[in-house]
Amino acid sequence: MPLIGLLRSASGRFALLFTALFAAAATAAAVVLWWNTAGALDRQTDAAIRADATALVERRREAGVPALVAAIEERLALDVQNESLYLLLGPNAAVLAGNLEAWPAEAGGEAPWIRMKLARDGAESEARLLRVDLPAGHRLLVGRDVAEKLRLRGLLSEGIAWAASSSAAIALLGAWLLRRSLEHRLSPVYGTAAAIGAGDLSRRVPLSDRQDEFDRLGMTMNAMLDRIAQLMEGVRGVSDAIAHDLRTPIARARAKLEEALGDAADEPALRAAVEQGIADLDGIARVFKAVLRIAEVEAGARRAAFAAVDLVPMLTDVAELYGAAAEAREQSLVADLPAALPLVGDRDLLLQAVANLLDNALKFTPPGGMVRLSARLAGAAVEIAVADDGPGLGPADRARAGERFYRADAARTTPGSGLGLSLVRAVAALHGGEVALGDTHPGQAPPGLTVMLRLPGA
Amino acid sequence: MRLPFLALGVALAMPAAADQPLRVTTDTPEYCGLLAQRLSSLAGAEQDAVRGMAEEGLRLCHTGHIRTGIAKLRRALRAVQAQRE
Repeated sequence: MPLIGLLRSASGRFALLFTALFAAAATAAAVVLWWNTAGALDRQTDAAIRADATALVERRREAGVPALVAAIEERLALDVQNESLYLLLGPNAAVLAGNLEAWPAEAGGEAPWIRMKLARDGAESEARLLRVDLPAGHRLLVGRDVAEKLRLRGLLSEGIAWAASSSAAIALLGAWLLRRSLEHRLSPVYGTAAAIGAGDLSRRVPLSDRQDEFDRLGMTMNAMLDRIAQLMEGVRGVSDAIAHDLRTPIARARAKLEEALGDAADEPALRAAVEQGIADLDGIARVFKAVLRIAEVEAGARRAAFAAVDLVPMLTDVAELYGAAAEAREQSLVADLPAALPLVGDRDLLLQAVANLLDNALKFTPPGGMVRLSARLAGAAVEIAVADDGPGLGPADRARAGERFYRADAARTTPGSGLGLSLVRAVAALHGGEVALGDTHPGQAPPGLTVMLRLPGA
Repeated sequence: MRLPFLALGVALAMPAAADQPLRVTTDTPEYCGLLAQRLSSLAGAEQDAVRGMAEEGLRLCHTGHIRTGIAKLRRALRAVQAQRE
C-alpha cells in the first residue's frame, strides 16, 4: 500500500501534514468566501421577506383584510424584477390575493420558513417563503423567487470547486517537493550512517553552507562520531598499554620464579623468590584495580555517593601523612589552606586524587626540594594546587599527561604505573571540574610542575 | 380588475402535494391584461413614455414573450406611480 509506505516515512508524514494544513487553510478561505457571498445573499433575501411580511401584517392590522389584499396586488403590479411571491388565504382556504396557485403542503409544518421548488413559465426555480398566521383564520405566505441567487450561487460553487481543485493540485505538488527536498537533505546522513555501519569509521556527514537544521544535525553527528573515534582510540590505547606495560612485570616475575626453581640453593632462597613473585603479582593486581577504578569513575557510577564535604580537614590529614614521607626523603611539604572549602562531591575519590598528586610531586622532587599544597576559594570554584620543584613537563608531555599508562620519557626510571593523573582527571571530570598543568617556577630550570585541580564549589 | 385575477386562483386553494413545484399565476397573458387594465385606470397613463411602454408590453405579451411583456407593463406602472409621488 503506497499510503502505508508514505505514513511510515517521516518525510511522507511531513508532506501529508503540509497537505492537510494547506487543505484546511483552503477550506477556511472557501467557508469565509461562501459566508460573505452566498450566505450574505440568503440573509439579505430572508431580511427582505421578513420586512415585507411585517409591513403587510401591519397593513392588515391598520386597515383590515381588503387593504392587505390591495397591498399585495400593488406589490405584484410593481414587481419589475418578477421575484415576489404572495398567497393570502381566507378562513375557508379561499385565495384572496397572491400569485401562487395553491397553499404548499410544506407550509403546514412547524417551521415558518420553507424552501421549495417553483414552476414558472415552464422553467423550474426555487422559492423561499415565510408563513404568517393572521388573526381570524387568515394565512399569508410571503416569499421570493431565488432563481437568480441560485444561479449566482452555482457560479460561486463552480469557482470554489475550481479553486479547490487547483489548491489540491498545488498541495500535492508542494507535498511531493517537500518530501523530495527532505529526502535529498537527509540522504548524506543516511549515506554516512550506512558507511559507518559497514565499517568505514572515517566517514563524516558532508555539510552545506546553509547552516540550517540539517547542517546542525550533520555537525552533531560528526561531533558524536569524532567523540566515538576518540573513545575507541583511547580504548585501543589502553589495550595496547595494558598489553605492553603489564607484559614486562609479568615476564619479570616469571623469570625470577623460573630462575629460583633452577638455581635456589636452599628452601629459604626458594621461599624468598616465591614471596618476591607474589609481591610482583600484587603490583600487577594493583594496576588492574587502578584501571578499573578509573573506568568506574569515568562511568559516573560514583555520583550517587556525592555529599556536602569540607575539604580542609581532609587536606590537612593528607598533608600530615605525606609530610612524614617528605621528611624521610629530606623534602619539605608546606600546606597553605583556608578555614573552610565546602563543596559537594565524593570525599574518598577527592582524597585519592590529592594523594596521587602529592605522591607524584614527592616522587619527582629532588632531596631538599619543597612540595606545596595550597587551596583556595576562587569565586564559585575550589582550587587545589600541588606544586613541586621537579623537572616539570614539556608541552607535548602535558598534552598527553592523564592518558592511561602514559609516562614522560624522563619519568621512565621512576617507579609508577602512569595511572595516577588519569584518576585525577577522571575525578575532576566526575565533579564537573578540570585539571590544569603549569610551571611552578616559570623561566627557571628546572621549572617544576604545578597541578591545579579546579572544582565547582558548594 | 381584481375579480378576473382572483378567478385564476380558483375559489378554494387545495394544498399542493409535497415535492410538487409551486406554480406561479402571474406569468400569464391574462395577467398582462390585468396590468394593462390597472395602468389605464391610473391618471398619468396617457403620457407618451408610459403609453409607449404599456403598448410595448402588451405587444410582447401577444407575441408570446409573456414575462418580458409583464416586466414592461410593470415599469410603466412604476413610472406612473413615481409621477404621482
